[in-house]
Amino acid sequence: MEQQIRHKAKELLEGRTVECVIGYERATDGASARPLFVYEPEEVDKLIFDQTCTHNLVKYLLDKKEKTTAIIVKSCDSRALNLLLNEKQIEREKVFIIGVVCPGMVETKWNQVSQRLQPRCQLCRQHTPLNYDFLVGEPPAEEAPPAETYADVAEMEAKSVAERRAFWSEQSKRCIRCYACRQVCPGCYCSECFVEQLQPSWVGIRIAPAENEIWQTIRAFHLAGRCSGCNECERVCPVDIPLSLLNRKLEKEVWELFDFQAGLSAEAVPPFATFKKEEALGIGE
Amino acid sequence: MSPENPFIPYLATLKNVVTLTPEIKLLGLELDDPIVRDNFSYKPGQFTVLSAFGVGEAPFCLASVSSPKGELEFAVRRIGTVTSSLQELEPGTAVGVRGPFGNYFPLDDNKGKNIFIIGGGIGMAPLRPVINTILRNRDDYGRLLIINGARTPQDLVFQPEFDAWASSPGTQLELTVDRGDAGWTGRVALVPAVVVELNPSPENTIAITCGPPIMIRFTLQELRKLGFQDNQIITTLEMKMKCGLGKCARCNVGDIYVCKDGPVFTCEQISKFIEQF
Amino acid sequence: MTQTISRKNLLAWLSRLLEHRLLIAPTHTAEPILFRPVSKVEDIIFDFDNTAISPKEWFFPATETLFWAETTDGRIELVPATLEREAVIFGLRPCDAKGLALIDKAFLAEPADTLYQQHRDKTVLVGLSCRKAYPQCFCTSMGTAPDDPSYVDILLTQVEEDYIVQIITQKGKALLPDNLLVKSEVVAPPPPSPSVIPAEGIEEVMRQVFDSPYWSRLADRCVHCNLCAYVCPTCYCFDIRDYESKGKIERVRSWESCQSPGFTRQAGGYDPRAGKAARLRQRFYHKLLYFPESFGAIACVGCGRCVMVCPVNIDIRELIADIQKIGGPNVP
Repeated sequence: MEQQIRHKAKELLEGRTVECVIGYERATDGASARPLFVYEPEEVDKLIFDQTCTHNLVKYLLDKKEKTTAIIVKSCDSRALNLLLNEKQIEREKVFIIGVVCPGMVETKWNQVSQRLQPRCQLCRQHTPLNYDFLVGEPPAEEAPPAETYADVAEMEAKSVAERRAFWSEQSKRCIRCYACRQVCPGCYCSECFVEQLQPSWVGIRIAPAENEIWQTIRAFHLAGRCSGCNECERVCPVDIPLSLLNRKLEKEVWELFDFQAGLSAEAVPPFATFKKEEALGIGE
Repeated sequence: MSPENPFIPYLATLKNVVTLTPEIKLLGLELDDPIVRDNFSYKPGQFTVLSAFGVGEAPFCLASVSSPKGELEFAVRRIGTVTSSLQELEPGTAVGVRGPFGNYFPLDDNKGKNIFIIGGGIGMAPLRPVINTILRNRDDYGRLLIINGARTPQDLVFQPEFDAWASSPGTQLELTVDRGDAGWTGRVALVPAVVVELNPSPENTIAITCGPPIMIRFTLQELRKLGFQDNQIITTLEMKMKCGLGKCARCNVGDIYVCKDGPVFTCEQISKFIEQF
Repeated sequence: MTQTISRKNLLAWLSRLLEHRLLIAPTHTAEPILFRPVSKVEDIIFDFDNTAISPKEWFFPATETLFWAETTDGRIELVPATLEREAVIFGLRPCDAKGLALIDKAFLAEPADTLYQQHRDKTVLVGLSCRKAYPQCFCTSMGTAPDDPSYVDILLTQVEEDYIVQIITQKGKALLPDNLLVKSEVVAPPPPSPSVIPAEGIEEVMRQVFDSPYWSRLADRCVHCNLCAYVCPTCYCFDIRDYESKGKIERVRSWESCQSPGFTRQAGGYDPRAGKAARLRQRFYHKLLYFPESFGAIACVGCGRCVMVCPVNIDIRELIADIQKIGGPNVP
């Protein structure tokens, strides 16, 4: 797999089809991975691909809008890429998508690489990227849309309101509003995030449980129907808040209400970015 | 400021508000505590951090000349939340003052010299006390040449003082605008072009300039072409400041904090910064 | 000859302290180990590498009120925030203690930040030497060591079931009664050796490489998430804002970092450090050049938290080695 990726990257760079290839290389712990930007054909041998390559690289495309860029995507990443295409944040012609059939990612933190597949990968039934120009790896015989089982969400839903309240209050206490979750999320690309607005000031700068809850809740709502489940937010959180659970709750709601999951196609438009006259609630009629 | 906590402002009362241009108002403040008032002294170039309580704080250079029991004056341009809030205050409202902070224009070191002042828009605010200090100590300085530029005639700052400046001995006031209007019969030219036109000699002269970054950049070029050395050109550095105390590190450039080691610097000092903007 | 305290007596002493003071120690908080107040000594974790976030949050909290402004009868009155509680922080690693000493240089310089000073004055630092060097550690390259007593009030070094006690300051002496200490022949084992990085002369090299394309290459993968600054024992940038609620105004300061987009943006929109590379570069220059130039020491203690927490593995140890290669004395 790695050889194919390197070969393709070299070809694209030598032919000047792309200015840069965004992929993965080994991190300084010698075990996990980190993003790599390759600009010269001689550097392609640094590119790797294995079960530690969990990062979603799609967000970097937003920094490279003027240039043509090649990018390595797994299936979850490809959903994020489709989202950015849906929302007209990137141009299809400017991206060369190197799709990789994903073997599933293991749980990693710096210097802690386990053999265990990440929970989201255990549930995943879509190993082939949904959008690509070049495919690396053999697609498995049967593929199905991303998992419709939300067992973890259902488990939380089964608890009483008081229990849920207590759980999330406990999580908010640890939040330090580093905004790492926002910075790594491909869906969070507003040039001015609502937390930075001064007039009106929705959240402010105070780092305290009430404000933290508002931050997390509103961010989750802004991602409803848009979250691709890449889990970057939860991976980067320094205090281990289960952010994916919150996002998946809204993912479930949108699926139940609108029969829609984000990023399955490059053409579909998320429900909250769509206005259909027939859905108007009689206001103003 | 309270000696217990340098983040606590002195309380002051807004005494009067004068509209200078469509965007800029001159606010006059009086410190409430008479002891603080008597001891509050500052030099041209220094700034304070003003609080619009409930909204926030922002740094403003002092546009007045220091005197005991004197009013503190600030030229405030409407541009963000704090400035908008300050502009809407009624006289009699409480305002917070922290300071004075920063360094000042080296007027004492340059007595006997000719002073060439080049200001654009709100950049005239820190230059006004320089001009007024020179005029109050006229014999201590040589020729005073002032360029005051703005986008349009309405935006020229400190118009009520132009007559007094222009009629002072040995003083030349040159106004200029980027765009004239129906009633304007004066010069229409960018500030750097006026520097070229006036062609002052750098001999025994220092130049002090303040204005939009782009104006300063081109003004510097012209001054250098005229033969001004970098240590003869003085300006104020603009960086976002928050605490004014050298603690929050927002205004850090190289090994200096603009709020503590500046905002006044010579071009020679600025050219040595590792980071150039 | 050393002084030791048994584990049993140590726990008894800490329990007694709990009666009158806040006892802050490493403890589990659902997942990561953090410094938090404990209500019983059983909650203290003794076997840990280091906490996810540095203990600076107990001296320079993530959010802190500076003062309140109250209006009564049309007159405004400013009420400064004060700190009442006395505290002990237990389990502080020498690197983190040095971190506080570095923040002191900035915050206690004239005019002193009196709130921070109150936190420092009213907290006793009980340090715990490191028995192991962890893969992310490099404290000895940053001027401290796993058993460095310089910046704490009391330093404990565990030797089997006992702890060698070094009383460093008067504050420490006042806190720990002699009758709990036992004279002993026990000697501390040699401290562990964390990995060494080529930090020698880094300031001078940094001066040479400011305009290198290295910074924009590195910034390609930086996501500007603030994590490095927030977990760091020596980063101290903050923002100040006012809040109003029911007629009472509160001026609050909160952590911020030079990595945030818009950190240097001025009213009106001009931003001298709008680009990713300029912001990333600023953090390393502040730590490795500007802070030493202003205060005489590198603003890094080698705790390795930034290395562990960076989502994209921007590693200051790798950076220092790279910089030495690009700009060091051996470069022609």
